[in-house]
Amino acid sequence: MEVSFTVNGKPTQVEIDPAETLLSTLRDRLRLTGTKEGCSEGECGACTVLVDGRPVDSCIYATGAAAGRAVETVEGMARDELGRALQEAFVAAGGVQCGFCTPGFVTTLVSVLRENEHPSEDELRTALAGNICRCTGYSQILDAVAATVAGRAAR
Amino acid sequence: MTVIGERVPRSDGRAKVSGEAVYGVDHSEPGMIWGALLRSPVSSGRISRLDTSAAAAMPGVHAVVTAADAPDVRAGWVIKDQRLFARDVVVYEGQPIAAVAADTLEQARAAVAAIELEIDPRPAVVDLEQAMAPDAPLVHPDWESFVPTAGPDFPRRGNIAAESISDPPGVDEAFARAHRVITDEFVAQRQYQAYIEPKSAVGIYREGRYVIHTASQFPFNVRDRVAQFLDVRPSDVRVIGHTIGGGFGAKLDASLEPYAALLSRAAGGLAVKLVNTRTEDLLTCTCRENAITRVRSALDADGNIIAREFEVIADNGAFSGEMPWLTSIALHCARGVYRTGPTRVIARLVYTNTAPTGAFRGVNGTYLYHAVERHMDHIAAELGVDRREYRLRHLFADGEELLNGQVLHDAGILRKAFDAVDAIAPWEKLQAERRPYRGIGIAAAWWLTNPMPGTAVVKLSDDGTVVVVTAATDNGSGAVSMGVTQIVAERLGIPPSDVRVTMPDTDVAGFDAGSQGSRTTRIVGKASEIAADEVIEKVKAVAATMLEAAPEDLEVAEGTVRVKGAPGNAVSLGEVAVVATNTVGPIQGTGSFVTPFPEFNPGCATGLMLPSFPTPTYHVHLAEVEVDPVTGNVRVLRYVVAQEVGKVISPDGTYGQVAGGVTQGIGYALHESLRIGEDGRYRERTLESYRLPLAPDVPRVEFVPLEHPDPDGPGGAKGVGEGPVLLPAAVIANAVSDAIGKPLNSIPITPEEVLAAIQS
Repeated sequence: MEVSFTVNGKPTQVEIDPAETLLSTLRDRLRLTGTKEGCSEGECGACTVLVDGRPVDSCIYATGAAAGRAVETVEGMARDELGRALQEAFVAAGGVQCGFCTPGFVTTLVSVLRENEHPSEDELRTALAGNICRCTGYSQILDAVAATVAGRAAR
Repeated sequence: MTVIGERVPRSDGRAKVSGEAVYGVDHSEPGMIWGALLRSPVSSGRISRLDTSAAAAMPGVHAVVTAADAPDVRAGWVIKDQRLFARDVVVYEGQPIAAVAADTLEQARAAVAAIELEIDPRPAVVDLEQAMAPDAPLVHPDWESFVPTAGPDFPRRGNIAAESISDPPGVDEAFARAHRVITDEFVAQRQYQAYIEPKSAVGIYREGRYVIHTASQFPFNVRDRVAQFLDVRPSDVRVIGHTIGGGFGAKLDASLEPYAALLSRAAGGLAVKLVNTRTEDLLTCTCRENAITRVRSALDADGNIIAREFEVIADNGAFSGEMPWLTSIALHCARGVYRTGPTRVIARLVYTNTAPTGAFRGVNGTYLYHAVERHMDHIAAELGVDRREYRLRHLFADGEELLNGQVLHDAGILRKAFDAVDAIAPWEKLQAERRPYRGIGIAAAWWLTNPMPGTAVVKLSDDGTVVVVTAATDNGSGAVSMGVTQIVAERLGIPPSDVRVTMPDTDVAGFDAGSQGSRTTRIVGKASEIAADEVIEKVKAVAATMLEAAPEDLEVAEGTVRVKGAPGNAVSLGEVAVVATNTVGPIQGTGSFVTPFPEFNPGCATGLMLPSFPTPTYHVHLAEVEVDPVTGNVRVLRYVVAQEVGKVISPDGTYGQVAGGVTQGIGYALHESLRIGEDGRYRERTLESYRLPLAPDVPRVEFVPLEHPDPDGPGGAKGVGEGPVLLPAAVIANAVSDAIGKPLNSIPITPEEVLAAIQS
């Protein structure tokens, strides 16, 4: 089947098997390997991308379901003001260790912060319950969000 | 300018947050094809039929290999007990039986499914006690033929894969005159490292040798294991490292690499990639071992501990990996921070028909300290004395001699750590404010910094920047991307952004013992510091001519070489590099470092394979928890760590290790259930059922670094990364037991167990 959608703003058309996942399309077909495959069962959140602004686990999301929609990946976040600020804050705050989960955290958090300019720490922890980080213990990730929120307020 | 102790962003941070970083699973080669493994569906049985002919005829298939296609050898880190493929019998679920390479992953998996396999199941050896019984079926009836990989053989027999016993005089006499004896038994389940990047490897057979692309914590170890399995010289294997998506010990040894290498050879040299599915990864990962620990203490009339017996039975799984080497750690923890009089320590490692266990951050220490510290709480409760006070009464001071004869010259730091915790979480206040279903726990530990060797070359470029060539790996901790980088920048007086460190390549860099045991910042940092010093000497010699000054009057600072006291009289490092290249030749320095083992008494124990703990560090943790009496859920309200760190090189890196290690420990204590059924198969088989700690599950860790710079360490550094995972199980178990007034002696503490204890 043929599917058309945008990826990080770029119109994209792919010819795929109907069962193909969005993760496979992004990584194997479009060579956007920033999105990671951690479990293929929608548990770890490393594969999180935004579809029409909402975070989805791309490992269990059919590419066909993205037809006509806007897909955003971690690669696109570098060209998004909020995404870039968040990426820089992750580095500055020590929110990255092995970094394999980071693309999923960045995309999830961009979605959260677009909706809510001042989330509480409890709201953030709940919003991040679908993203597993095995390295950091989450504190420095929350620090990165706090710095991003503060930076946005200062502008 | 100083960068030691400053907040310097990690050098690989930008690549990681942007998605540019190339992890092991991201690596691809031109013309690459895909591999898949046929793994045993049962834990124990005899292979009665294995026919690959249909699979070999499937579309896209390039090669199918089995034990018949692999060298008839055994391999292993410590003892050679493992074949590449099961040959006649299978000994654990997930054990590779055959491998396929095909044009696509789907084709490879389809071909694996087409292999005709029949296994006559046998009863699985699972129970640790039964495995040690004289009439127990043997996991390896041919165990006597196994050969140690290096050095002399060690105590082992039948299903006992390794044994370490220390039996000092006076134990039985003390028990005979004891006023009372307190006895406990503790059980700890396995823990899956659960790095988010599954294991993978790309193998290429080219020009008569094997090239492996992988994400490994210890590339030279992978090189050696591939060479063993494929029966070639180590130098016939080249391992090239890529960014690691977490490892925590599980990526120290080879996993998929030898299969990728053999498949490539069988497929005529095409690059072959293998990636574990999450379930394959979980089922076959070298998890932290499950163990039973028994502790018995003899007390005098005043309640002082006058002797102890400590027995550990740990699960090796079906093959040994690193485990035999770690068996004697029990000796170092059984009487590691508290005086317990003469202490008998019996540690056994047992073969079972389960996946091989292996290194996980804080090897063995997590359950050993859980046992020691739960037992301390039990004794204090029996005596009716305060638990913290009872610990302080027995706490080591400077100069304490351990069971192995090692002297802890600075063990007095333990008292400072208790005080540091008390300063931010006063014990008396917490006790006074206790509410129903809330509890507190406290515990202490000591630990080592892995001493194994490392080396680095620092080379000066024409633009004044440097490259550090090393096979050290940054497993995510920042030990390379911050630690080594900052140490070299500090030494050479250049910004950290002007220090680049290579990715590991066993053809390019000298031996490095890998990211294990908190060693990288200290060992590789020190080797790099020595290499940088050689660069400085050479730079000064060349600059002396340029500046018409004596080398001893020069200093290297702020990217220049300058005359001391006359900073205007200076040349840049880049200018010196250019002149050097054209006069004396390019400038580079080499450094190597290894920490000697502290003196010990070799006669103190049998099977003493890890004889003493180099570069000790000291740790005290405290937790406050709340138990929900309706659901049995435990919430960690507060977590406090005081840790001796030598010297903080990177505050963010250090805190990250503490917060991350504690979180893994909270998972171990409360969430991460990995049960083994009677059939030897894991009950939890996905990340849905194997429950990792999530953001709502963990508090912010309150951390007090205690700095006692090590004169031998670079910038005073000691190991930091492992210590934080040692004590959460101990303090949380103590806190939960305190909260409900009932002992909880198994790890993890699940809600079901909490409810059962409350209702008992």
